[in-house]
Amino acid sequence: MMKDKKMNGSFGYRMRKDWIRNRSLYLLVIPVVVFYLMFHYKPMYGAIIAFKDYTPALGVAKSPWVGFANFTRFFKSVYFTRLIKNTILLSVYNLIFGFPAPIILALLLNEVRNKHFKSITQTITYLPHFISLIVVTGMLTNFCMTTGLFNDIIALFGGERAPLLQDPKLYRTIYVASSIWQEVGWGSIIYLSALAGVDSQLYEAAQIDGAGKWKQLIHVTMPAIAPTIIIMLIMKMGSLMNMGYEKTILLYNPSTYETADIISSHIYRIGLLDQDWSYSTAIGLFNSVINFGLLIITNKISKRYSETSLW
Amino acid sequence: MKKRTLSLLLTAAMTATALAGCGGSQTTTGESTQAEGANSGAGASTGAGETKAEGAGAGAAEFSYPMAAGDKLSYWCELTTTVSANYASLGDTPFAKGWQKETGAQIEFLHPPTGQLKEQFSLILADGNLPDLMEYNWMVDYPGGPEKAIKDGVILPLNDVFEQYCPNLTAYLKANPDIDKMIKTDEGHYYVFPFIRGEDKLCNTIGLMLREDWLEELNLEVPTTIDEWHTVLTAFKEKKGAAAPYCFEYTNAQYLNSDPFAYAFETNRSFYLGSDGKAHFGAAEENYKDFLATMAQWYAEGLIDPDLATLGNDQVSAKITNGTAGASMGQAGSRMGTWTTAARSSNPTFKLVAAPPPTLEKGAKAEFGQIENKYSGRASVAITTSCKDVERAARLMDYAYGEAGHLYFNFGTEGESYNMVEGYPTYTDTIMKNPEGLPVSQAMSAYIRGNYNGPFVQDIRYLEQYYTLEEQKATGGTWGDSNGKAHVMPPVTPTSDESREFSTIMNEINTYRDEMTLKFIFGTESLDNFDEYVKNIENMGLSRALEIQNAALERYNAR
Repeated sequence: MMKDKKMNGSFGYRMRKDWIRNRSLYLLVIPVVVFYLMFHYKPMYGAIIAFKDYTPALGVAKSPWVGFANFTRFFKSVYFTRLIKNTILLSVYNLIFGFPAPIILALLLNEVRNKHFKSITQTITYLPHFISLIVVTGMLTNFCMTTGLFNDIIALFGGERAPLLQDPKLYRTIYVASSIWQEVGWGSIIYLSALAGVDSQLYEAAQIDGAGKWKQLIHVTMPAIAPTIIIMLIMKMGSLMNMGYEKTILLYNPSTYETADIISSHIYRIGLLDQDWSYSTAIGLFNSVINFGLLIITNKISKRYSETSLW
Repeated sequence: MKKRTLSLLLTAAMTATALAGCGGSQTTTGESTQAEGANSGAGASTGAGETKAEGAGAGAAEFSYPMAAGDKLSYWCELTTTVSANYASLGDTPFAKGWQKETGAQIEFLHPPTGQLKEQFSLILADGNLPDLMEYNWMVDYPGGPEKAIKDGVILPLNDVFEQYCPNLTAYLKANPDIDKMIKTDEGHYYVFPFIRGEDKLCNTIGLMLREDWLEELNLEVPTTIDEWHTVLTAFKEKKGAAAPYCFEYTNAQYLNSDPFAYAFETNRSFYLGSDGKAHFGAAEENYKDFLATMAQWYAEGLIDPDLATLGNDQVSAKITNGTAGASMGQAGSRMGTWTTAARSSNPTFKLVAAPPPTLEKGAKAEFGQIENKYSGRASVAITTSCKDVERAARLMDYAYGEAGHLYFNFGTEGESYNMVEGYPTYTDTIMKNPEGLPVSQAMSAYIRGNYNGPFVQDIRYLEQYYTLEEQKATGGTWGDSNGKAHVMPPVTPTSDESREFSTIMNEINTYRDEMTLKFIFGTESLDNFDEYVKNIENMGLSRALEIQNAALERYNAR
């Protein structure tokens, strides 16, 4: 290295140097880079059909341009405000209730001293993650019927049986609660591993200073896992508008459209069932742009106030 | 140390998802681009070789099957479940083997994965490497309609082809001008070898049914009017303890589109043909309000399943067979037959009976009723522009519309799957009591296409034997007892320019209608607001949609 006369050489030179030195590392990364280029960058080219009137027979390149017609059609749609509102509300509820749940579970589990109990609880809580969505929604549909499990429980406590999935007011609760049930255990794994990394000397020191369990939690545990929490939060924010359509179309019905119909289920009904690809791509693109914005904003905020950020 | 590894990991994961987020949200595009690669194998089989056998066209009169050996034809179609239960490809069935033997054509069958018909169709189109023959609903499911498919250079107009190579089909169309009209575009182009239901009775597929054993026990007649239905359902609820007296598969759009109770009020939730010869949108008319009022009343009285909106086939089947429900709607085979067989194992007296289309006044003939068009567009075969040997393809398809082919498609091979008994093609025990224990529907699907669909004319005699229960056999006559044929919309097609506009408008309207219909029935929305609901539908552009629909109807009538 020192022998090199062009130690502060050009970028290309440094690249070559680095490549030679770390060739095995570069080799390792090649498949991943190719994967992203092939499956995430190349398809982006197809996004231009959002500005076209796409027909498969003509192909992406030859389909006629239509400018922003697909976007204005979406903005002018009578359902536009409702779709945006439903998507945001469902996302926000999912965030408010769904985000802290695994953290709380992880903190609770962290305090459990009985090893057996701990591992059994962990297994039980993350098991639902492995149940296929279609099975989960099938169970939910049956449980929510007037003769279903939930109504049996309601009736047991003297309540009146009602078709729960036909009530727009209950839809979000059912959606969010079932998501938490399904993902809380799985989501807690990352926090548990963060908790495992906290130096036990810190707790001892805190104890000597007279801190109780609660104070230890506030002053030792939380600061230790805060970076993890923040990164997870930024990631969540980046996909805030990306509510998948799968669960929605399996769970909703026309009587709950009012609260249940979200952007992606709308795309599904119009784009895929009616084969209006350009329109659905336009909405998808619009969605991605908002997500991208949210990601950047959250990252900025986080950078300013907590020194933790993605870039 | 640990913390650092963790945050590294996180950052990596993060970058991954962020990137994935950017690319992943345009799923449709992504898929189609990927599939270009994945799918190129599918159409590649077209095979090169000599092109058009021009000499053979000259002697159309002398032509006879089987044809001389030639290029293999690729044939793309959906594999129906009764076939896929036993065969990986249609080509493996005795039906397809015999068909090739009879016609002399060699066929390579290509199938989309189950349930992905439309997706695969788009992918093949995007790829551009088309199979020679494609079985699809070209009328409804090609964006922009069949004329657009011809203009896009996907399929061939078949007028010359029919004339030159298809004596059987041409003769059939000459004898059936009503069908001839249905299978053309407004511009007069033929575009497919159609699937045709041979008789009206084959078009009455859905109707009401209820527990006959309960009716007898309660000393009640089969209901024919809305009032009688009310009495019967109330009796089912009070005397037989049915928690959901009337229960049907509400999530099935086909059922909703032909709801017999809506027909009783001379309306329909979608388009119908009025007595004035014009297209009407039922769900925005006064009659629909009366229908909703009755449904709302029944729902409030507990005569309709409270879980209506979420009912799928599984739940309905369970409720009908275990006596939670006493009346339902559906087909004679897949519903009535299946339920009866299932229920009789535990309840030998279980019996369903078909009820005629209900009316408002006793003794009146129902004006509306469920009936499908003889040509629905489904499972019809087009010759694509990639086809090199058009004559060969056309001859292969034309076979089914001749006498021999008609018998072959509906009954299979004589001596194997059927025998002629006094001029009546009677299925053998290979079909009716399959030695390998296959259900009749699956045994049929191995030898024929008559029991589902495809490019041929369906024969009523298949159905007469397929229905084994007396009550099933009665359904055709009972359900068909209406003037419904005068009110079903013929298979009209909007022009390719209008079709996007039409579907945009109807998408919004249908979503709103579906939502409000349930709210009115559940009583969460008062019927006093019906006028406002109609006004909203009109604001969404109903009059424009009707204009398009009526223009299409005029063009259809002028064909």
